[in-house]
Amino acid sequence: MILNRRNFLVGTAALAAGASVSVPFFLPKYHADRRAKRSRVAILNVEQYVQRIDELLGSGLRLFRMNIQGKTVVLKPNLVDYMPGSAINTHPLIVLAAAQAYRSLGAKSVLVAEGPGHQRDTQLVLSQSGYADLLRNFAIPFVDLNRDELIYTRLRASYMGMKSLWLPRTVLEADFLVSIPKIKAHHWAGATLSMKNMLGTVPGARYGWPKNILHWRGIQESILDVCATIPVHFVIVDGIIAMEGNGPLSGTARPLGKIVLADDPVAADATCARLMGFEPDRILHIREGAKFLGNVSPSLIDQVGEALTPPTTPFDVVPEFRHLHGV
Amino acid sequence: MHRKLLAFRPTSPSSAISLLTVERFRIKSAAVKSDRVVLIGVLAELSRRQLPAGGWAALRSSAQASLESTCLSTLAIGSDDSDEVRLAQEFLVRLQNPNGSWPAFFGDDRDGVWVTSLAVIALRDVATAIPARLAGIHWLMKYQGKEANWFWRWKFLTADRHVRFDPDKFGWPWVPDTCSWVVPTAFAILALSQVPCSCGGLEDIPIRVDLGIEMLMDRACPGGGWNAGNGVVYGSTLAPHPDDTAIALLALNNRTQHPVVQASLKWLEQTAQTLTAPWSLAWTILALASHGRAVGPLITTLMALPDLSGNDDTCTLALVCLAADSSRALAAFGVNL
Repeated sequence: MILNRRNFLVGTAALAAGASVSVPFFLPKYHADRRAKRSRVAILNVEQYVQRIDELLGSGLRLFRMNIQGKTVVLKPNLVDYMPGSAINTHPLIVLAAAQAYRSLGAKSVLVAEGPGHQRDTQLVLSQSGYADLLRNFAIPFVDLNRDELIYTRLRASYMGMKSLWLPRTVLEADFLVSIPKIKAHHWAGATLSMKNMLGTVPGARYGWPKNILHWRGIQESILDVCATIPVHFVIVDGIIAMEGNGPLSGTARPLGKIVLADDPVAADATCARLMGFEPDRILHIREGAKFLGNVSPSLIDQVGEALTPPTTPFDVVPEFRHLHGV
Repeated sequence: MHRKLLAFRPTSPSSAISLLTVERFRIKSAAVKSDRVVLIGVLAELSRRQLPAGGWAALRSSAQASLESTCLSTLAIGSDDSDEVRLAQEFLVRLQNPNGSWPAFFGDDRDGVWVTSLAVIALRDVATAIPARLAGIHWLMKYQGKEANWFWRWKFLTADRHVRFDPDKFGWPWVPDTCSWVVPTAFAILALSQVPCSCGGLEDIPIRVDLGIEMLMDRACPGGGWNAGNGVVYGSTLAPHPDDTAIALLALNNRTQHPVVQASLKWLEQTAQTLTAPWSLAWTILALASHGRAVGPLITTLMALPDLSGNDDTCTLALVCLAADSSRALAAFGVNL
């Protein structure tokens, strides 16, 4: 083929067209790389929900260097619905212990905030799951994120193809946001941990119950976009009684006896996935999160407290997620 | 016909109480006096929370008007000639989107969401709002769950069968481009059932309403009652919710003898005995009353709940007022006893 002016122009145009189609697939879908050089995760052995969780949690938090002085701390537990005898929600004693710990660390204010994804009557969930009395007795304010004042927010990643969401003022204006999930297998996401827990901040009053727009846009993709937009400063995971199987509502309670603390939600979730007997890289939002939100590799995680021992029998999952178990 | 509840703008709770007159409430229970005092307090608080522009925020601490709170509060204070109601109705009309729908809150995007049904209900008796209501009704007729499209219906029938439901029976979604769910469908049925005639481009209202009713029957939990709309997921039965069940039963008020309705009424009546959350209990009272059940003792239980006026959630305050005067509230929702 002779390289003449005509062929050169045609070739250049073809290259430009090809690049314009393919480049978006290779460009990062996040706006900023927020990864710390190293992350710290602590595993605590706690066999039961007992009053001295506050002592254990207090000593666990001292393993981290946190400057809470004068800050507004928002604790975001996982409250979805209430079913007697099931392990759906973050246990209230853990949230209470966290509130007391942050108060003792000098927080200006500590409040609990959540927007249940399945049940519209937030006060009913709070009451049935044992939160209402504890919050009242210890004067801890609660904000219903499903009905909080909303702020138009540009998303800081573009996995689900939405440019913006209306998000609650309480979480956007928090100085220090703590995700406090329950360890659960999840029939749409594989696992629901600290990152998935953040979908509870998406307001039901705007997007409905359940927040069905996120299902249509992709759960894993939604998790990434929301976590890119609302930074999680710390994670406290309730893994004392976890859930396996058909979570997040209909799974089976599984005693695990762990509380996991972390200064990085991706590292926290990767560690919890390993505790569940899962390969964290096989959970899409953890794998993608490792590109810009936090660390997955054990070589980048300073592990303190108890040793990370995978279970003899991995957590049961629905058939679509059996690949999480690895080889 | 609406009875007058409030015709004043209180300056303080005490002045509100002194200005209210006894004949405005007719709560026929043994604890009528204390119930009335509680109700006066709740109404005064509701009145105090009205924002200067006419709407109500969802939470006490907020200044962002929410459509759900505004519609329920407008129905709760319910007097056609009070300044508050007039201000609220004008606010609702002002907030309507160009496409006929209503947004979830002041400042929201202009696509429109499920609260359009509530706005249509709240503006029912406002002559000046007839064009706005008509535009809202037309929008509701076009608004449907994503499974109304043949492609998604095919997907749910063949490839995506983890949630048990019949995609041929669709209703209304919370927001555009999503599936039908129980609560928005129930409110749309209530709103469209109030339209006096199926004419002028609204001939299909009975078809949509019937399809919505079929969808509600299909989405019921196996033992009766409803949750958001997931009765069975991955083979597991999910529990019903009192408020979702009550709202669905309200929309099915003329289907009392249907077996699904009977089972749901039975479940709700049993559950009501242990309810201590005012939002769920108030909806329960309205639903049971709409099916002719006695609700006097439940109203007494509701009014005895601690610190009702201090409840942070404005919708809950409005619901308490509506439940306390259930026959007027049911008339506002278009339920004829």
